Amino acid sequence: MVTAIETDKLIKRYGPVTAVDGLTLRVDQGEIYAFLGLNGAGKTTTIRMLLGMVKPTAGQVRVLGASLPTGDRQLWNAVGYLVETPHAYPELTVRENLEVMRRLRPGVEPAAVSRVIDRLGLAAYADRRTGTLSLGNQQRLGLAKALLHTPPLLILDEPANGLDPAGIVEIRHLLLDLARQEGVTVFMSSHILGEVARLADRIGIIHQGQLLQELDVAELERNRRRRLIVRAHDGRAALAVLLNAGFAASLTADGAIILTDSAAIERPDEVATQLVLAGHPPTRLAVEQEDLEPYFLRLVGLDGAGPDA
Amino acid sequence: MHNLTPAIWVELLKVRRSRMPLYTLLGFALAPLAGGFFMIVLKDPELARRVGIISAKAQIVAGAADWPTYLGFLAQATAVGGFILFSLIVSWVFGREFADYTVKDLLALPTPRSSLVLAKFIVVAVWSAVLTAMIFVIGVGVGQVVGLPPAPAGVWGPGTVVLAITAGLTIALVTPVAFFASAGRGYLPPMGAAILVVVLTQIIAAAGWGDYFPWSIPALYAGIGGVQSLTLSPISYALVGATGLVGVIATLVWWELADQPR
Repeated sequence: MVTAIETDKLIKRYGPVTAVDGLTLRVDQGEIYAFLGLNGAGKTTTIRMLLGMVKPTAGQVRVLGASLPTGDRQLWNAVGYLVETPHAYPELTVRENLEVMRRLRPGVEPAAVSRVIDRLGLAAYADRRTGTLSLGNQQRLGLAKALLHTPPLLILDEPANGLDPAGIVEIRHLLLDLARQEGVTVFMSSHILGEVARLADRIGIIHQGQLLQELDVAELERNRRRRLIVRAHDGRAALAVLLNAGFAASLTADGAIILTDSAAIERPDEVATQLVLAGHPPTRLAVEQEDLEPYFLRLVGLDGAGPDA
Repeated sequence: MHNLTPAIWVELLKVRRSRMPLYTLLGFALAPLAGGFFMIVLKDPELARRVGIISAKAQIVAGAADWPTYLGFLAQATAVGGFILFSLIVSWVFGREFADYTVKDLLALPTPRSSLVLAKFIVVAVWSAVLTAMIFVIGVGVGQVVGLPPAPAGVWGPGTVVLAITAGLTIALVTPVAFFASAGRGYLPPMGAAILVVVLTQIIAAAGWGDYFPWSIPALYAGIGGVQSLTLSPISYALVGATGLVGVIATLVWWELADQPR
């Protein structure tokens, strides 16, 4: 099977600034690969290198088996893309903007324009000038341009940007359908962690131009820290009981007791027994998984503890 | 050139949907109207005395209230005003892709970037030529309204040819402006470059080196310095051609090779 996207020790420098620093990644055909990073992490620069818009300072890029830069423009028939905030010709209507793209992609039949308008829910705005569209509909138009020619590879920079919650769900289902039903490969960048976890098969985490971690969703679930949250009527007294029992416990400002040692997380019933015997029965006892945000911040070293990987 | 025709269709659609053709026509229409005013001044010495300075100016530029003078004025206006106007067109056609951030949609397509650039140049040339033709038509109308004496035989042919060649030379000279619109990613750098060229043209022409400064040549050809058009050497025309070619090639190379980080 041909790898959809492959980069090898990819570096991009702008003067003294290194935007991408030795990035090596591989995206298999048919998978949804999320490229996760903070603003300025190097996501968009990487995407522009994948699309041949920016030349690497060093390293190699292969897209659908073709090394970039390539003189074979037909490669781009197989790629649909959305880079950063979508923009369109403001004096042209939605339909005309898509017609422009259709004409510049020879071989795409005229019916493709109406089809993609329907698929992206733009029918009500088809004859409206794009300068008057909301940000969400501009985003839909950007996605429509990417999907117009039904490419086997989609490279999407923040595809959920500007969409309302219903729109986010709709686009998520659309991308999942494309990947699962039609075998389309989706390479998408995002900084919305929850969205990524729901959509991606694999996740690459980029920070300051470097790939910190590459993992599948199951690994992500395993890597996220768990903790036991305990509440009691007298939080301080309950904390003292648990400390005396040898648990690593701490009290938060709002009176919750946090236990992070595996003995407590694996056996919350033991914790409850200790508290009941001491006369401070728990009013709440729950094992919680670390949110994606703290996990991500911990990984990139922005939780105050330094990088984790 | 792969997919050039659809690329031209796309550029024409953008032009048709914008107000720029109307604005450029209104701007350029000032030329025949101003020329008509000068003709009125020259026809009526009484009015000429009343307007004073403008009358003196009209004597320098025009000479007599007749068709050869009026057509010559239109050619000179095309060489000078046309350069600024055609530069504005080039700046819009190329610079808008950067100002509107639409260029990124044009970079990873089966249509080669060179086809897109050539399509833009072709549309600029056609647009500029059509404007010149409309100025000629408006000019003929204004000349009739002003009541210029009927032109003797042999006036219309040469007058039209001079206007057309002046427009052609001027159009060739705006291609470097496309490079500044692209490399400068917007409207201001190319218009700044065009204004700088106009200033340099004045200085170099005043210094007597206008024959060898490409942007002076259309005005000299149109007769802004009297009968100098007859003395322009083939080198002058070659310089115009070379400048046009350099502008096209520089723009093509930039679109093909420059990083597009925005």
